[in-house]
Amino acid sequence: MGSSAPQTTTAGAAAARSLEPLLELRDIDKSFGITQALSGADLEVFPGEVIGLVGPNGAGKSTLIKLVTGVMEPTAGVIRVKGREVAQISHREVAQLGISCAYQDLSLCTNLAVYENFAILNMDHTLWGPVGWRKAKMAEASALLERFFPGNGIDVSRPVSALTLAERQMVEICKALMNEGLGLLILDEPTSALSANRADQLHSAVREISRTGVAVIYISHKLDEIQKICDRIVLLKNGTNAGEFDPREISSDELVNIMGGEVRVRDLSRDRTSMVGASLVSAHELNSAGLTDISVEVKSGEIVGISGLVGSGQTALLKAIFGARQGRKQGLVVNGQVAYVSGDRAGEGVFPLWSILDNIMVSSLRSVTRLGLLNRVKSRGVAQHWFDRLRFRAENVDSPITSLSGGNQQKALIARGLASGADILLLNDPTAGVDIETKQEIYTLLAEAKAAGKAVVLHSTEDVEMEICDRVYVMREGRVTAELAGEDVTVQNVVRASFAEVDQVDQQEKAAPSRLAGLLHSRLVLPVAAMVIIFALNAIVNPNVLSLSSTRLLLSTAVPLVFAALGQMFIVAAGDIDMGNGYSIGLTNVLVAVILSQNFLVGLVSLVLFIGAYAAMGALIHLRRLPAIVVTLGAQFIWLGIALIIAPVPGGSSPKWLSSFYNSGLLYIPMPAVLCIAVAAVTWFVIFRWKYGMVLRGIGNNQDAIERSGWSYLVGKMVNYALAGLMVVFAGLFFTAVTYAADVNTSVAFCMMSIATVIVGGCEMAGGVVEPIGVVAAGIAMSLITSLLIFVQVDSNLQVAVTGLIIIGVLAARMLTRRKASVA
Amino acid sequence: MNRVAEFARRHPAIWPILGCLVFFVLIGGLTGSIDPTVVFTAARLATFAALLGLAQMIVVTSGDGAIDLSQVYVLTLCAYASTTLMDINPVLGFIAAVLIGGLAGLLNGLINIYLKVPAMVTTLATGYLYFSVVLVGSSHMKVLPQQDFVTLVTGSVGPVSNQTILVAVVALILAVVLYRTSYGKQLHAVGQNRTAASLAGIPTPRVVITAFVTGGLLSGLAGVVAAAVMGGAFQDMGLAYFLPSVAATFVGGTAASGGRSSVLGVAFGALMMTLMSSFLNTAENTFDLVSGIKQLIMGAFLVLILFVSVAGTKRRRGRVGTVSTLKPSAAS
Repeated sequence: MGSSAPQTTTAGAAAARSLEPLLELRDIDKSFGITQALSGADLEVFPGEVIGLVGPNGAGKSTLIKLVTGVMEPTAGVIRVKGREVAQISHREVAQLGISCAYQDLSLCTNLAVYENFAILNMDHTLWGPVGWRKAKMAEASALLERFFPGNGIDVSRPVSALTLAERQMVEICKALMNEGLGLLILDEPTSALSANRADQLHSAVREISRTGVAVIYISHKLDEIQKICDRIVLLKNGTNAGEFDPREISSDELVNIMGGEVRVRDLSRDRTSMVGASLVSAHELNSAGLTDISVEVKSGEIVGISGLVGSGQTALLKAIFGARQGRKQGLVVNGQVAYVSGDRAGEGVFPLWSILDNIMVSSLRSVTRLGLLNRVKSRGVAQHWFDRLRFRAENVDSPITSLSGGNQQKALIARGLASGADILLLNDPTAGVDIETKQEIYTLLAEAKAAGKAVVLHSTEDVEMEICDRVYVMREGRVTAELAGEDVTVQNVVRASFAEVDQVDQQEKAAPSRLAGLLHSRLVLPVAAMVIIFALNAIVNPNVLSLSSTRLLLSTAVPLVFAALGQMFIVAAGDIDMGNGYSIGLTNVLVAVILSQNFLVGLVSLVLFIGAYAAMGALIHLRRLPAIVVTLGAQFIWLGIALIIAPVPGGSSPKWLSSFYNSGLLYIPMPAVLCIAVAAVTWFVIFRWKYGMVLRGIGNNQDAIERSGWSYLVGKMVNYALAGLMVVFAGLFFTAVTYAADVNTSVAFCMMSIATVIVGGCEMAGGVVEPIGVVAAGIAMSLITSLLIFVQVDSNLQVAVTGLIIIGVLAARMLTRRKASVA
Repeated sequence: MNRVAEFARRHPAIWPILGCLVFFVLIGGLTGSIDPTVVFTAARLATFAALLGLAQMIVVTSGDGAIDLSQVYVLTLCAYASTTLMDINPVLGFIAAVLIGGLAGLLNGLINIYLKVPAMVTTLATGYLYFSVVLVGSSHMKVLPQQDFVTLVTGSVGPVSNQTILVAVVALILAVVLYRTSYGKQLHAVGQNRTAASLAGIPTPRVVITAFVTGGLLSGLAGVVAAAVMGGAFQDMGLAYFLPSVAATFVGGTAASGGRSSVLGVAFGALMMTLMSSFLNTAENTFDLVSGIKQLIMGAFLVLILFVSVAGTKRRRGRVGTVSTLKPSAAS
């Protein structure tokens, strides 16, 4: 493009053009299999200019951005970075040019605080930060947010998960802006969740940084903002450049006209022979999550399109119709069987372990069942019928579904829907990533279904496909904004309606909950309260508990559980679970009582080796992608075996120094209490204050974000496991101090108890969210329950029941508060 | 070479069957004679690992990281229930005791699906509950098994124990249900991808809960038989079977992420674990091994076989607590 379009040169850009382009992409092709995402696309980026990248759905914008950010390499074409030709943009070029991208699908670790998400990116990869770095980073993050979004009110110490969508978007944008050597900023739909006021702030920020020489690529469906802030508009269509414009010389209408150009889907002669029959789907002022005042009707014998910009509520509408298939829903009546065909084949379509046959037949099992058994012959007959009719490119119906191309997989999914005999066929973007020929086959299938009197509802992100529909509903921000029928169904009209402004819906940013409410919802409340209450109950039942010696006694039995649970916590932080720590504590118990008590040095080495084994286990789980639950289960045999080799029968003794240490105190405080407080403080520091703690928590939450930030995921996981191993060593050490001997079989209960403690302590089993202080408190609480039950002379066996009830109670309580929070 | 790999992939049962052969030969090598009674004895001893392993297989196959940790407690609970109830009426008592297992499974499934508590945590908690019923109630319950029933389960047809016949019958029924009925297809679909299954019109919640109930029924059956075989119920009777049964489940070719099962594989997996155990016992006696070597070899072997079989499937790791985007329709 460049010089060939002199009419587009604005004064500012002209000045810029005298410079060498920052980045030059010429004649770029990118294909995925047989799908051509880009063909001969060009893009030139000069320092200090703001490029508005626009184009209809599926034009290839995202692919182009992925090439620029080095996520993908082009199939063909020339890329020049500052005049130097490169095969692909590598991490080195990304760093050298200072390319930063604010992703549409946010790339934040949601369990980390806002400032930590910044810090994880821009701090060097050493283990320790300078003293007070957190304060400095917090101030830095606040300043950054305040600079670009004045008055944003975001508390940077809060985890990202507590922010509203708009706040997250601001954080994401600032994260991209933070790049020190920023040279090219890419904003992908940056204002989709922002209010008008915030969008204005972003626009000034964009202008401000472009003045400093930073180039900006601004992708948006909102043409008004494109015209407001861009120096140059690059229009992409069907994977190639469809023109370059000066925003001051072109109106939105003209842009829309060009975008909805002449491409036509092969005319299926919309034969009017099919009888439009009874209404099968009828929604009247339907309101639900993501949908507002939807009124649509679908009759048998017609194809109805659902269109609009990506993410305007089309999928929500399809799923609402599918969800209402059994019975009625407020405002939505569905008559007849419904089949849903998803274009997200891997995510919600195919069953990857199965053959084509099974994938086609899964929705029509009832029709081939006789006397309760599947009739294989009949089943094969039905599948074969569709296999022949749809002309699959595969050996036979028994070929695995994964051997098919995306388009052929899609045909199998459509065959599944048709074979089920559904009256209503819902298709969610069925031609995504499908080659032209297969697309045509799919259109033919739909036309046949229509002729057979079925109702077809088609949502597609490719606007041209709407031309095969009899009627089209166009959606915008969860509402139906236009209905097109008959001759009015043209790409032109669809695009125009898609870009139509809705009455400015209030996008009020929700106020963050108050500090007090935050404190009440803290994960610490429950375990700490449990500990205090159970201790108080103990004291009420038996006032002697308040004496120092009794406290020592009570706590000394709690300490091993506290450490066991902390070990479990580090593994839960990584998103895994340790099912073998019962025997691993038994092993460390043996190592301490048999080896360490005899020879300190050998014992120490053996314990260090043990911690190494835990780290290796973490590495194995990550590298071979094994399920942690099974590996740790298997590993416990190994722990048990080693322990039995060392100590075939219970024996050994607690080292003298250990016993005297355990029975000592610090300023009248019994050592077990000191240990609990100390370990709570240390693990809290490791998790929340240590620089590397960010990584330890991050890996359980968002693997991509960690890897993108340059930290090693593998090392992070191994450190988590090693810390867990260290905690297991301490658990074994103090278990020896309590029992005075080694017996690998007495510690089995720690496994279940530690998991229970971790849950009560406020950790999330899904990973990333842990609470060391809560775990310590919960460990003490769980241990005190036993003594309480003994004091009140309840069958001590009931402790097991109490533990089970506590877990269920805690989870139920957490569910309730979470539900309340999501309603508010 | 490729053919062989493909065959192994399609029939995961060949691994444990090969393993059985290897250990059978090894035992023969140690004792100096190939004695088929070794196999029959091992098959009898494998009864409980097999029943629990099959039960676990069904739950794990439902996918989404599902696993039932309460099994061994259900086994113990049903053992006590059987000794108590069969004292009143042998037949009705038997049925009632097994049904208690099903009820326990139902509770697990309901909590997992409708309270959205991850299966592992759910069954951990309910396991505590079932066990505490045992702990509190055991002093009021009868522990001795019904004598006629004992005669029945400890009997044998030729060299084949009645228990082995029971396992074979159960395995056959399960194979028919899992591979020849629409429920079986639905279970495997749900296990591969719950969202896709719901969108394909499968009543996902019902399928998963049924899996838990079936698992509970099988655990219950194992408990009832165990009480008879072991001469009564006792509090820790289930614990010894936890590891062999879980090992049998995964060694037998059950995908940890769900959606793939092998009745034959798990049954032979249980047999293999028992043969491995007998082999190590024999070796221990023959060579006067240090105790513990047995467990060490067992553990190393297990991790190794996982390393080979599970990792080879290259699938997304089953994540506990994944929430499907589509609400289960039955929930509304």
